[in-house]
Amino acid sequence: MTPHVPRTATAALCGVLAAGCLATASPSVHASTSTSQRARRAHAARVLNATDTAHLHYVSSSGSLLFDEGKATGTLPGSMRVHLDLGTTFTGTFTIYTSGGSIEGHGSAAPHGSGTYESFSGELTVTGGSGRYAHAHGHGGLYGTFDRDNYALVIKTTGSLSY
Amino acid sequence: MRASAGPSIRAALGALAVVLICLCPASTARASQSVALGASFTPYRLGASTTIDINLQIQAPAGQVPTALTEVEVRYPQNLGFALSGLGLAVCSPATLEALGTSGCPANSIMGRGAAVAELRFGAQLVTEGTSISIARAPDQEGHIALLLYAPGPSPVNTQILSPAQLLPANPPFGGRLNMELPIVPSVPGAPDVAIVSLHVTLGPQGLTYYEQTEGSTLAYTPKGILLPTTCPRGGFPFAATFSFLDGSHPEARTTVPCPAERRRRRGAR
Repeated sequence: MTPHVPRTATAALCGVLAAGCLATASPSVHASTSTSQRARRAHAARVLNATDTAHLHYVSSSGSLLFDEGKATGTLPGSMRVHLDLGTTFTGTFTIYTSGGSIEGHGSAAPHGSGTYESFSGELTVTGGSGRYAHAHGHGGLYGTFDRDNYALVIKTTGSLSY
Repeated sequence: MRASAGPSIRAALGALAVVLICLCPASTARASQSVALGASFTPYRLGASTTIDINLQIQAPAGQVPTALTEVEVRYPQNLGFALSGLGLAVCSPATLEALGTSGCPANSIMGRGAAVAELRFGAQLVTEGTSISIARAPDQEGHIALLLYAPGPSPVNTQILSPAQLLPANPPFGGRLNMELPIVPSVPGAPDVAIVSLHVTLGPQGLTYYEQTEGSTLAYTPKGILLPTTCPRGGFPFAATFSFLDGSHPEARTTVPCPAERRRRRGAR
């Protein structure tokens, strides 16, 4: 089964990550520690609480698997790509591309409601990234809507990001 | 859920049943039933939209009526794009279906069709009743996509059946399960309940017309349908069904939709 990324989760992750980037690193890094330890502590010290919104459009699909991409705005602006499995639960993976690097993660959400717009809510987890966000990790909530007519997603995310 | 019979028909059938049951008391004895499951895609092209066709068969020993079916759970393959199907854009409430039938439901709430065949015994005589089925999107239940199966059955027993169903998660190799609860439908006094012996259900756009409002006018269209993956799983698309009967038995049946022939796939790709 292909891993999926909830759109809302992606947006949330972006927000989380962006928040982390903006957060000030903790100054409590001791001179006696090794370089790697310092680096790890410096990464862990940056924590950001953020909210973001992503508007994603359809790229391709196969069965219940959907690939969407689009723009993310908010605390951590950039572009986002999500691979979702729209099963009885929406699950998937996401990548957010920002000017400082990319942020990756996964999430899941429960769909509810009916009609052209199907809403969903769930959680996301940031597992890593590249560049400034190479050590990114975090957790957040996500919610949004899925347009069943054109397969577009709007994902709103909120949470905290460390990097 | 409702099961009712017209008073005059019921009375007539009741009188007939009393006579026939008295003549043949042993004929109401039951034995365990066997079950079978069929499934197909129409059209069947990988990467394209389709209608899923599910066929459930129940067979009792010769001359006997199966026990009443109370629940069926059909597990379907992973990676079928229900959410991308464009089906069930509106909902129909159970109250509307009960009061008005499918004609009272929004056209965009109908997700499929089907047919059922039931058997009932009047003494020694086995009577077969067939009815059409409409499947409508219902308001979600506990966070799950809910459906309603509606079957009007005007003859020979005047029975209207409203059966709730849900799309629920399932463990691999299945992507989900369609759970259908079936009401007990009494036939006539002293006779066994109506027994379903065949249930044919389609989920998909085949035969459906949806409507959308565009710049003040109404546009009719055929919904997209359930999207098949671009690749076929090894061994084909697996389906399985668990039948629950009133006698407490839960027989299972399995089937697989074979992968399209390689030659056919290549031809279709051109």
